[in-house]
Amino acid sequence: MLALIVAIPLIAAIALFRIPSESKEWIRNIALGSSGLVFLLAMGIFLGFDSSNSAMQFVHECDWVSVLNIQFKLGVDGVSVLMVLLTAILSCASIFYYLNEKNVSTNFLALMLVLEAGILGVFMALDTVLFYVFWEVMLIPAYFLIGLWGEGDRIYATTKFVIFTLVGSLLMLVAIIGVTVVHYEATHILTFDIQTLIHTDIPKDKQIWMFLCFFLAFAIKIPVFPFHSWLPHAYGACPIPVLVLLTGAMSKTGAYGLIRFCLPLFPEAAEMMGFVIAGMAATGMVYGAWIALAQKDIKSLVAYSSISHLGFIVLGIFALNDQGLDGSVLQMFNHGIIAAALFFIVDIIQKKLGTRDLTEMRGLKGKMPILYGIFMLVTMAGLGLPGLNGFVGEFLILAGVWTSASMAGLGAIYVLMGCLTITFAAIYMLFFFQGAMQETNEKLPADLGDIDKKQIYMLLPACFLIVFIGLFPKPFVDKISPSIKQILSVEKTVKTSKGSDSGAHH
Amino acid sequence: MFYTWLILILPLLGFAGLSWFGDRIPKKLVGPVGCATVGGSFFFTLVALVHLLSMEAEERVGNVQTLYHWIQSGSFKLDLAILIDPLSIFMLLVITGVGLLIHIYSIGYMEKDPNIDTFFAYLNLFIFSMSLLVLAADFFFLIVGWAFVGLASYLLIGFWTEKKSAVFAARKAFVMNVIGDVGMVIAAFMIFENFGTIAYLDVFAQAPEKFLPNDDTMLLITLFLLVGAFAKSAQIPLHTWLPDAMEGPTPVSALIHAATMVTAGVYLVARCHVLYDLAPYTMMLVAAVGVVTALFAGSMGMVQYDIKRVIAYSTMSQLGYMFLAVGIGVYSVGMFHLMTHAFFKALLFLGAGSVIHSMNDEQDIRKMGGLKESMPITYYTFLIGTLALCGFPLTAGYFSKEAIIMSSWYADGSNPVFWALAIAGAGMTGFYAFRIFFYAFFGTCRTAEAHPHESPTIMTYPLLILAFFAIFAGFGAPLAHSFLAPVFGNVIPEHHTNVALEIVAVGVALSGIIVAAIFYGEGGKSEEKPDGLKQLLAPIQDVLFRKYYIDELYDVLIVQPVKKTGEFIWNTGEKKGIDFVVDQVGSQVKEVSHLLSIWQSGKVRVYALNMIAGAVFVLIFVVFL
Repeated sequence: MLALIVAIPLIAAIALFRIPSESKEWIRNIALGSSGLVFLLAMGIFLGFDSSNSAMQFVHECDWVSVLNIQFKLGVDGVSVLMVLLTAILSCASIFYYLNEKNVSTNFLALMLVLEAGILGVFMALDTVLFYVFWEVMLIPAYFLIGLWGEGDRIYATTKFVIFTLVGSLLMLVAIIGVTVVHYEATHILTFDIQTLIHTDIPKDKQIWMFLCFFLAFAIKIPVFPFHSWLPHAYGACPIPVLVLLTGAMSKTGAYGLIRFCLPLFPEAAEMMGFVIAGMAATGMVYGAWIALAQKDIKSLVAYSSISHLGFIVLGIFALNDQGLDGSVLQMFNHGIIAAALFFIVDIIQKKLGTRDLTEMRGLKGKMPILYGIFMLVTMAGLGLPGLNGFVGEFLILAGVWTSASMAGLGAIYVLMGCLTITFAAIYMLFFFQGAMQETNEKLPADLGDIDKKQIYMLLPACFLIVFIGLFPKPFVDKISPSIKQILSVEKTVKTSKGSDSGAHH
Repeated sequence: MFYTWLILILPLLGFAGLSWFGDRIPKKLVGPVGCATVGGSFFFTLVALVHLLSMEAEERVGNVQTLYHWIQSGSFKLDLAILIDPLSIFMLLVITGVGLLIHIYSIGYMEKDPNIDTFFAYLNLFIFSMSLLVLAADFFFLIVGWAFVGLASYLLIGFWTEKKSAVFAARKAFVMNVIGDVGMVIAAFMIFENFGTIAYLDVFAQAPEKFLPNDDTMLLITLFLLVGAFAKSAQIPLHTWLPDAMEGPTPVSALIHAATMVTAGVYLVARCHVLYDLAPYTMMLVAAVGVVTALFAGSMGMVQYDIKRVIAYSTMSQLGYMFLAVGIGVYSVGMFHLMTHAFFKALLFLGAGSVIHSMNDEQDIRKMGGLKESMPITYYTFLIGTLALCGFPLTAGYFSKEAIIMSSWYADGSNPVFWALAIAGAGMTGFYAFRIFFYAFFGTCRTAEAHPHESPTIMTYPLLILAFFAIFAGFGAPLAHSFLAPVFGNVIPEHHTNVALEIVAVGVALSGIIVAAIFYGEGGKSEEKPDGLKQLLAPIQDVLFRKYYIDELYDVLIVQPVKKTGEFIWNTGEKKGIDFVVDQVGSQVKEVSHLLSIWQSGKVRVYALNMIAGAVFVLIFVVFL
């Protein structure tokens, strides 16, 4: 089943590359059909997921490179099942959105599907090499999508994005091999299986550099302050359907990597570096929010607010306790939904008015009452109004940070920074929402209409999830919680002898 | 008592239904639907009240109704539950009772507004949120309700979205309240950290055993809760949003910014009285801030010309009295003033709304005058409301306020300074309340083109009902105290009688009225002729009128620096700093690779040389290391 989830978009992508661009019906059917099917499958595993079982479920395993014992192994636990669902929802929505545009390019759609497959693969891979392959697979379509269909200084933006990400991922490859080597030295079994490797007790000094290699790759992808400087450019240039996948799903692969690799593989290093990284994350969230306050361009306002919210998520991860991590994973899902909805709204406004400048738009409410209602709900979720989904995640994260043992006295400071971020979020979100929708404006074009049915259908699921998770977070948290417990309490059964520390010299 | 959920569900359904179908049903139906849901809530509140009264006193507290398990994450468990006890039902009576009257009034007031469906949807949302706030059985859903009333208040202040000032006022109110929410969230974390739970009953049961009075943790928890309470109840220094909130329609001011939402802070202190009893220092602060705000707001109210703003300042001032009461530990006295205040303040606002309505949305008292003849019902009910506000003997306000003033002399946590300040505040109240009264109703009308007329009956009936309670509710004081006693540890506040003190208190209040009568007895002055007070207070009049320049101060100290810093970080830190460094790394690498590319010249001889050099290097490495 999991293999199908990855295979369907890839097969569809190949079909799309080969299909002549005249057959519009077919293009539409293939693109929507494949992403819709993936969504149904993702929904299936989400509903079929057994919350009481903290082990990997739906595991699919077959040999890939048998010489090196590299497996094609996929599986989901409570964290990945949410991320898979999120990715499937967002891909479906953004492909649906793109198909409504005037000029539909088959290559664009095919690349989107490859991107989707890459992201889904990352979330499900249980083999480090396989993970790395999917990790790189994400990059290629993203590079072309921004480079070919972007706006503004798109070549600069996409090059910067790729170089940044490559630096990180190459370091990660080194660490991936490093972990296997350590395990091999201890047991003389060659494996890249994550479930096996996490039980290896890696010596502390090695833990630190490997941890840093992994962390850098993930930190760039998320991005964590101060590795974020590719983001404003890439987001600025990125076409909206891609951006929704980028911010909604791809940025989560970094956070997911931290949870899947950094914490269980290197618990001591995580404990040691935790408060430093949390400091970076906390700085990033205030920093992003503060810059968002000064933005006039609504796309970059949402982009910087994303930096801020992603900082929140990383902060929660390094609380290294149940509440912090549960909150972070839930918030990953929430942020995916909210940010995606916000970017769609940005694009709708831009298409209608031809501008993204906040100072030039006002008073859209009169002409667009439906968008007004939806936008209001999304705004409230974005600024973390209690009772909606954003707050559940933020509350758990901050509760986790406050009680975190590894942060000790710094926890309170980080929570205060979090509170400052929430206050700033209220200000910039209201500037955005009120600035665009309220007051009066005579200069609006006379034929300006409300959003059409298709756009409503696309935004309604987001609204539904925003309210639903706010009211019933339990089905989600119940899936996350046991897996997080498992990750936080990995037993190190494979001991490495002290002597193997200097094993490189034989 | 599972039916109590209906108190929450009905207005929520009203909100959902009206916002979804509101524009598809006839406009005439919108108002009755909005009223029906609140009426239903009021009915079930009454049922719950009877139910509680039928129980033994000690059984009335601690009835928790759980709907479902909301979340479980590690040791953090939470149910979606509500707590039915005398305190929550007491608050609900005010919320749904006064709320219902204001809903009915709104049918008349908002009749001509094209967005009346949205208006009633928001009002229903507010009733739902406020009920959630008082019914919550734990700090989490308290915060949820707390934020939702903030949202409803935001939506209703900015209801006329085409008005720029309303949009700004709404944003200001929202941001101020977010600051308060944040304080409460931190308090909730501290409670979770120390008690391992955030459910009221568990926390309050553990607190007295776990902490000694004035323990640092307890002080911090109570102080962080106070941030929320002060922001919501517009106490110094988080008060600046309330006067601006008067941009909203007048029924909103009556419901949210007078009768119910702004009293949430007082409710919070009363609800958490177990914690506050363990933090006498905080209590001292509560009382002090309360009495200072009472005085401070009164002084600003004396010189304003906007009829709603004056009433808004008087609300701040009366909230100050309530905080004084809970701050000196006489909780049910504070709660009782909350109730009587809801009656007479809603009455005053609705009366002001009636005046504004008939003057074609004019709020400046200098342009009113002589409304006594043309609006008799509004005139008499407004008079009753004004008298009750001033604490005129035998009105409801007299009983509740007098009890606070007497307690501020006698109660354990009080001192004569509080008493003296409270008395001074009462004098100011008499003055500013009658100032607007004389301005609006006496003399002759100062706007030639206005044709003031009495409001329709749908607006005057709520006025009459509220006026009835504004007069007679005071006699219910002993009942209220004994009803609330189980919540506050079975303490019924002592009734102190001291004729001398009472004479002083009443005398000061009356002298305020008399001064107002001397200055304005013949009606107010128009804009051109400065009134007597303005000349008398000339040096400080400006300071008072500009609200002590606090808005300007906040702008200079907080708003501008935050804005400037944001721009600075973006321009300097982001563009010239991090981005520049990263790009430099890129271009430096390019430079270096340029140098390296010399080696890739395509000349075979150079390649061969390199290979040999490399091989030698590796050899040296292998042999010697």
